[in-house]
Amino acid sequence: MNNPELGTPITDIDSRVSHAQAEPLPFPFPESGAGRASEFPSNAVPTSEPLLLFEQVSKWYGNVLALNHVTLELRGGITGLVGANGAGKSTLLRMANGQIIPTLGRVMVRGIDARDWQARRYVGYCPDIDAFYEDFSGRRFVRLMARLCGYSRTEATRRTEEVLERVGMRDRADRKLRGYSKGMRQRVKIAQALLHDPELLILDEPLSGIDPIGRQELLELFQGLARQGKCLLISSHELEALEKLTNHVVIMARGRVAAVGTLSQIRDLLEDHPLSVRITAEKARALARQLLGLPEVLAVEVDESTEPSSLVVKAHNPKRFFESFANLVVEEQIEVKKLEPLDESAHAILGYLLGGSGKT
Amino acid sequence: MPAIGESNPVAEDPHAAPSVVTAFCVLTVESFRRHGQVRQMVWVSAGLLALVVASVLVVSLRTGWGLPDRRLQRGVSHRQHADRLDMVRALPLPIGGPGVMLAAVGPFQGIVRPQDDPEDPRRVTFPFSNFLNDWAFMNYSRWVVLGAFLGFVLPLFTLSYASAAFGAERESRSLVWVMTRPIPRPAIYLAKFFGALPWCLVFTVGGFVALCFAGGELGRRALELYWPATIGGTIAFAALFHLIGALFKRPVVVGLVYVFFFEALVAALPGSLKQLSITFYARSLMYNAASSAGYPAGMLDVPQAASPAVAWAFLGSVTFGLTALGMWLFARSEYRDDV
Repeated sequence: MNNPELGTPITDIDSRVSHAQAEPLPFPFPESGAGRASEFPSNAVPTSEPLLLFEQVSKWYGNVLALNHVTLELRGGITGLVGANGAGKSTLLRMANGQIIPTLGRVMVRGIDARDWQARRYVGYCPDIDAFYEDFSGRRFVRLMARLCGYSRTEATRRTEEVLERVGMRDRADRKLRGYSKGMRQRVKIAQALLHDPELLILDEPLSGIDPIGRQELLELFQGLARQGKCLLISSHELEALEKLTNHVVIMARGRVAAVGTLSQIRDLLEDHPLSVRITAEKARALARQLLGLPEVLAVEVDESTEPSSLVVKAHNPKRFFESFANLVVEEQIEVKKLEPLDESAHAILGYLLGGSGKT
Repeated sequence: MPAIGESNPVAEDPHAAPSVVTAFCVLTVESFRRHGQVRQMVWVSAGLLALVVASVLVVSLRTGWGLPDRRLQRGVSHRQHADRLDMVRALPLPIGGPGVMLAAVGPFQGIVRPQDDPEDPRRVTFPFSNFLNDWAFMNYSRWVVLGAFLGFVLPLFTLSYASAAFGAERESRSLVWVMTRPIPRPAIYLAKFFGALPWCLVFTVGGFVALCFAGGELGRRALELYWPATIGGTIAFAALFHLIGALFKRPVVVGLVYVFFFEALVAALPGSLKQLSITFYARSLMYNAASSAGYPAGMLDVPQAASPAVAWAFLGSVTFGLTALGMWLFARSEYRDDV
């Protein structure tokens, strides 16, 4: 990857995403805010204001830093938000719809503070929680949500039927919510988010609990919405599912935006991004000699001040490095006490790209 | 299964623009409707009310609320005490002697009329038949209306409904649906209050009416005199408990602590601290109503009672002040749907 800032730690990247612009997305993104070509060009109301803007946003819960200097800009298309539990995904999403106040920085929706009720006219939110008015039917619930958007009875009924049709629930919406399957509840949640035809859809784990057929239907729904010019920010634990939907992801780790871009760009970056790993093992010096024989290893530093000794290994192409290291450990019967990646963000990204949960 | 995802976006009708006023009204009505579902705390309050009503009914039917049969001291009723006084025949001074009146009649001033002993004009007797008035109404007012109703039933019913406006939705984690609608936060707070208030009024006034029915004619008189204070107190308590419901995760616990440790305890203490309690002003209104109707309001035991103007001003200020404070705080609070 031809990137002048490869030495920059991934965790320090400011993320500026614009699906509506035609330039390919460099990674890390320059301050000018160039974006990548969108597969779903936005036909939203032309405006210079980004649909969603996080500007140097930090959020503390007591002593816990939930978000750390997050800068993010969305203008259209589908963006996947991935990260391990506790990475800050849900905090970011709740902040985007005004539920949570940033400790530092600001969150804007079309130039309006996300806390302002008018900003919520632009935002449809599908929460992760599975709580409803259980005594309501799906239709009655969605209709109430439409009425709470401020629509008249007639208009609310019309919109309710339209969104239920869109999520495939029109013929099943008269049963009580308490009797719905997880997938049906998920569809109702998505339906209520679509009621006021928002430009920005924030979907927190919308695919969880959905069977494969339902998942495919929802993926098609999301793609259809994006084609109609909506901006979708979708969080998920499952990178694989998001990969079918969008090639554009925001990866979060420990409250920071660890990386933004297409998956191939991030993979390319990781190929070249040096990874530091601390390995605690018996016979550290002998292990260091063998590690230096691996082509992926750039440097090894032995620390014999601890018992047992440890090594700090700097390697590129982490995926190949870990494969080679695993083979070496098995072949040479080396007893590894501890393996600790020192760059948590790269570690998290790697975890996702390797198909894990971010906790490799 | 219909195909999804390919239909048009929800079409805009220029004549069907959303209105925040409509949303506010719908939220108010919906909050009212959801409050109709009986909750555990309401059952507890209803049980307490039933207990109080039954007790009042029993007393009303068996002994009545007249003073002669009410307890004056431990194990001694007013009638028994009067009988004992009847034995002080040897007092040396004639009727009208101030020493005799103060010493012997003190506890019954305005209640019992001493009469001459026909056998000895220097002596006085206090026959029970000479009770000027049994003051059943004041007795009923003090123990039933100010004690049981104002002290427990009213705050508990109000707490049950007002704190549930947010508390119940927070517990069921369904508040997120309201919080993510395009409605200003202060309007959400106000709509929830308006939705809960009718239930608070219906149940507290209903409870009061039930107690009054159980009291028979005395109750009817109490209803006539005290209903404004009941309504004023209910609205003020509702504003307070609604605020508590919006701010605390365990509003019922906080509310109960407030009712039993502040309203019940502090309001009974001598000194000016009680003037911070809502109950004091509701009691003052009842005191003034009884006093205006010609009853010896001193029997209600409301020392330093506030004037009607001050009491109404306080209750009104508390209602508007707490509601405005709640709107302000709620607009600045965070709601997390995961906790």
